[in-house]
Amino acid sequence: MNGTLTPLRAWLLMLPLLVIMLSVIGWPFVDTLRLSFTDARLVGTGGEYVGLENYRRLFASDAFWRAFRITTVFAVVSVLLEMVLGVLVALLLFQDFRGRNILRALLILPWALPTVVNALLWRLIYNPEYGALNALLLQSGLMEEYRSWLGDPGSALAALIVADAWKNFPLVALISLAALHAVPQAIRAAAIVDGANAFARFRYVILPYLAGPLMVAMVLRTIEAFKVFDIIWVMTRGGPANSTRTLSILVYQEAFSFQRAGSGASLALIITLAVTLLAVAYVAMIRRAAGGKF
Amino acid sequence: MSTLDLIGIGKSYGATEVLRSIDISLASGEFLVLLGASGCGKSTLLNVIAGLLSPTTGEIRIDGKRVNEVHPKDRDVAMVFQSYALYPNLSVRRNIGFGLEMRGVPRARRDEAVARVARMLQIDGLLDRKPAELSGGQRQRVAIGRALVREPKIFLFDEPLSNLDAKLRMEMRAEIKHLHRLLATTVVYVTHDQIEAMTLATRIAVMNNGAIEQIGSPEDIYRRPATVFVASFVGAPPMNLIEATWDGRGLHLDGSGQTLALPAPDAAPRPVTLGVRPEDLRLADPADELAIAATVDFAELTGPDRIVFSRLAGVPILASLPPHSHVTADEQVRLTFSKRDMHLFDRGSGKRIDIPLRPVA
Ligand SMILES: Nc1ncnc2c1ncn2[C@@H]1O[C@H](COP(=O)(O)OP(=O)(O)O)[C@@H](O)[C@H]1O
Ligand SMILES: [Mg+2]
Repeated sequence: MNGTLTPLRAWLLMLPLLVIMLSVIGWPFVDTLRLSFTDARLVGTGGEYVGLENYRRLFASDAFWRAFRITTVFAVVSVLLEMVLGVLVALLLFQDFRGRNILRALLILPWALPTVVNALLWRLIYNPEYGALNALLLQSGLMEEYRSWLGDPGSALAALIVADAWKNFPLVALISLAALHAVPQAIRAAAIVDGANAFARFRYVILPYLAGPLMVAMVLRTIEAFKVFDIIWVMTRGGPANSTRTLSILVYQEAFSFQRAGSGASLALIITLAVTLLAVAYVAMIRRAAGGKF
Repeated sequence: MSTLDLIGIGKSYGATEVLRSIDISLASGEFLVLLGASGCGKSTLLNVIAGLLSPTTGEIRIDGKRVNEVHPKDRDVAMVFQSYALYPNLSVRRNIGFGLEMRGVPRARRDEAVARVARMLQIDGLLDRKPAELSGGQRQRVAIGRALVREPKIFLFDEPLSNLDAKLRMEMRAEIKHLHRLLATTVVYVTHDQIEAMTLATRIAVMNNGAIEQIGSPEDIYRRPATVFVASFVGAPPMNLIEATWDGRGLHLDGSGQTLALPAPDAAPRPVTLGVRPEDLRLADPADELAIAATVDFAELTGPDRIVFSRLAGVPILASLPPHSHVTADEQVRLTFSKRDMHLFDRGSGKRIDIPLRPVA
């Protein structure tokens, strides 16, 4: 034993993990792949081999492209919102003021709540009859009459995005807060003496230290957001008029509501492929940002 | 070219006093070194001058004008930090020009100023690199360049050379001295390194525990330390300090039974500390009256000197003797010194006592 890890020993050490991964991910994956080439129903026959028919039908359907668009909008807007909100809150909580530590502890709350609880909470806030949002907007004179935020196809997606961003911005805020503490005091001081204003200090002093951690947060959050299911299921079930039907909701409807297991499987694989491409692109970006040292 | 006055500066964090009534008056073009151990408040004082911290009490004046309420960027001071504090994703060129850029100096004039400073510091070949692509010495040059290019009223340095290796430190020290001679800008320079302090300063302020122990020329600080603290802090190897009792008959070295023929002006015994620098000691002739007898532990040849480690009643006595001096372990040596080179401090207050050079009758 000379302490170096030979490739063989490395593989041997990884073996237990690989076995588990293959059995819980690999086999279902292969089975899903097989299903996607059949017209299997959820209950009953195993289905006939239909080749690429499921994929062809999906790519030709408006429902798929609409869900794809909705998912993309949901992911992009909610992640952007989380990033901006998270960084702003982190900058605030980095300031030295009384009660800062209590606020920092409270910050974690939305994130710690189970998604279902958060979703129910926002459903209450958006409730057309007694919801807080209607009350607030009406009483402050910003709105004339109560609105059904989740019942209106024009506002349901936006309402969902806000609810999801609210739940997830604390993660970004916490990561940013940690990164802010890593900014050397001397560079802050140098920038102040050099006469940099708040924007320039953010741009040249803070952002270099924030960019890496934020990038990682963005990767994690985009992938999560692209797969979103639970918050939508609890709040709108993809409605009204399918205006919040994301890809995951569509999979669920295909496979379980309409019991078309084969077609559902092909859609699930498409999402998997999209998320994998996203992850690969991100990793390449991070690699380049880190100068290939990652 | 500016004057700087600090009047009764104090800084407290809650009950912790970090600075205690600091008074310093600098003429234009002076090079003041704040010298003190780590944690004594040097950086705090520098930050107060820069405006990065507000003092709890006292007034800061630049060119006679109170600047307590003036924002750091408007005080026209430039600062160089131990950790260089370069902007990590800006090129050397933009790092140096950053202060000018933030002040809205047009691109062409900025580039010209940066080029001039870069030539002066011999970093003109590095202008397009990022800080991460520079060595420590090069980074410090960039940091100094960033301060120089602004042509500020006052330069503030916070241990700028502490992160460099010994050889580079010496080079940069010479360079800073050269730059100061060239530009004659007022400088406040913080260090814990006494060699830096002695070589660079026109005046040194020795700080201890948030207060200034002594402020004076390097010569003053070294030859006439005002307190035991200054005496022990400045000089390497450090000054020998021997507790003694002083009365009308002479200076009785505590615990050794030896008395130096140096009667006090007052008959009443007074507890004092006798200080003699190692390099002011030499082997005594039988004729020398002013001498202490000590037992040799060992000797070390440092090159130019032979440092003799000896003991007097348990107190270590170091003597820096010529290299050919011959002493052996356990030998009794008599070490003499001239009255001019001895220091006496009151043991209660730690303050210097001026010794009458001629024996009192
Ligand atoms: N924000 C602060 N709160 C409390 N104490 C502080 C603060 N900043 C510095 N100090 C204390 O002030 C003292 C002087 O610090 P500093 O000026 O950095 O010393 P130096 O630069 O001489 O090493 C130290 O004992 C340090 O612990
Ligand atoms: Mg310091």
